[in-house]
Amino acid sequence: MNGRSSKARRVRVPSLLGDLPAPDGRVAGREADSGRRRFLFVVPPLTGHVNPTVAVASELSRRGHRVAWAGHTPTLEGLLKPGSKIYPAEDEAFAAHVEQARRHWTTLRGPAALKFLWDGFIIPLGHAMMPGVQTAIERFRPDVVVCDQQTLAGPVAARLHDLPWATSATTSAEFTRPLAGMPLVEEWVRDQIGEFQLDHGIEDLLDLRFSDHLVLVFSTAALIGDTSIFPDHFAFVGPVLGRPPGNDFPWEWLDEDRPSVLVSLGTLNGPAGERFFQVAAEAVKDMDVQAVFVTPPGTLPDPPPNLLVRGHVPQLELLERMSAVITHGGHNTVVEALANGLPLVVAPIRDDQPVIARQVVASGAGLTVRFARVRAEELREALHRVLTEEAFRSAADRVRRSFAEAGGAGQAADRLEKLT
Amino acid sequence: MTRVLDEVVAMLVEVVGEDFLLDLEVGPDTTFNDDLALESIEFVALAEKLQLRYGPAIDFAAFIADMDLDQILAMSVGDLVAHIESRLSPAAV
Repeated sequence: MNGRSSKARRVRVPSLLGDLPAPDGRVAGREADSGRRRFLFVVPPLTGHVNPTVAVASELSRRGHRVAWAGHTPTLEGLLKPGSKIYPAEDEAFAAHVEQARRHWTTLRGPAALKFLWDGFIIPLGHAMMPGVQTAIERFRPDVVVCDQQTLAGPVAARLHDLPWATSATTSAEFTRPLAGMPLVEEWVRDQIGEFQLDHGIEDLLDLRFSDHLVLVFSTAALIGDTSIFPDHFAFVGPVLGRPPGNDFPWEWLDEDRPSVLVSLGTLNGPAGERFFQVAAEAVKDMDVQAVFVTPPGTLPDPPPNLLVRGHVPQLELLERMSAVITHGGHNTVVEALANGLPLVVAPIRDDQPVIARQVVASGAGLTVRFARVRAEELREALHRVLTEEAFRSAADRVRRSFAEAGGAGQAADRLEKLT
Repeated sequence: MTRVLDEVVAMLVEVVGEDFLLDLEVGPDTTFNDDLALESIEFVALAEKLQLRYGPAIDFAAFIADMDLDQILAMSVGDLVAHIESRLSPAAV
């Protein structure tokens, strides 16, 4: 495992008297004294987990550093800027397996989804990515490995190569200890992480969800709650908006003088998702709002006139024109809405979404409703309240200001530079 | 059927909504996850109803705190009813 390159790239114990110039005048152990560093991002084949790394990487590039990704090449090609360096770390056979697993995953909820997330996704993905991530490290020779919280191959390969590594936490759910009330389940998750390290020859076990060098969290205390309990290497940098440029949108459809609401559930939610959109259409049809529903047009064949159905939208630009957002609670959509000071109605489906929904409610910036059994009047009342009660908007604005002050991609890049 | 079972079933019907249970007879073997797919908001609503009816001795959070993942996955209405009955003093039942 711990091959030739690990010796070459071993992080040196800093000299007490500072770095002595090497014979050729270069500072020892660094790529000349240009200050240029190399950052490798290790990511899962999940859009929402890749997008924030794009924003952080482009800030690092702007500062003259080199960046590359290790992951599933076709997924990454659709999300990264053209010409980005990609090291393949997931072969097509495994990618097909992941695709199938994802379809199964979307039929699961609650604890069954949690079990499958680890057993059926995170652990097998980690094993499958190990060889590719090892090769990426040997070829790209990064100074720092930035690891998505769900790709265990990143931290393990970085540790095997004695490289500093950072966690990229694209959802903040883990920072509220959602399983604290179920200690045996929490322990089961840690056991999965422990066994993965043992399988790859690491015996000094760490919780790989939280780097001991740097943990980048794309949110702040205004949404998460108390963050003062975390050590200094946990950096709450706020959202970094890394969505690729969006599609066309009929901007003339939006009337500036009417409240507008975006309704988006992410992807792949099957019949339950279709029902939600139908109920939401029923909820908004008699309200004085314009609603943009992000769903394949076939879902709602005959929408009321105040409702626009689009398969895809330029979400970041569109949010600037919205008054509120109805969402399943995907972390990126929630923080993007709040970065615009928009109150939310959250209908969590699975995974971290119920946790994020609780954060939204606790911050005062929105309400939560049921997903599978939501009723039109339930949704109408929640939407009416977030649109008309000032408290929601001012709480959302409080979160917006806290995000703006957190520094985003610039702060993330500062913290990453300090690791080298 | 015990009285507690009747009461818990009634609470669940109220939380979930009768019209969503047309194909399902809720009984001791009904599971919270597979059969009812209870959502987090619904769990909270149920926990509130339990406390209101049976007092602080019935704490839903404490009930699941000792369970492992497979037990949580398999948790049934009957398990909850047995927990409630074991916590209530004989006089109260």
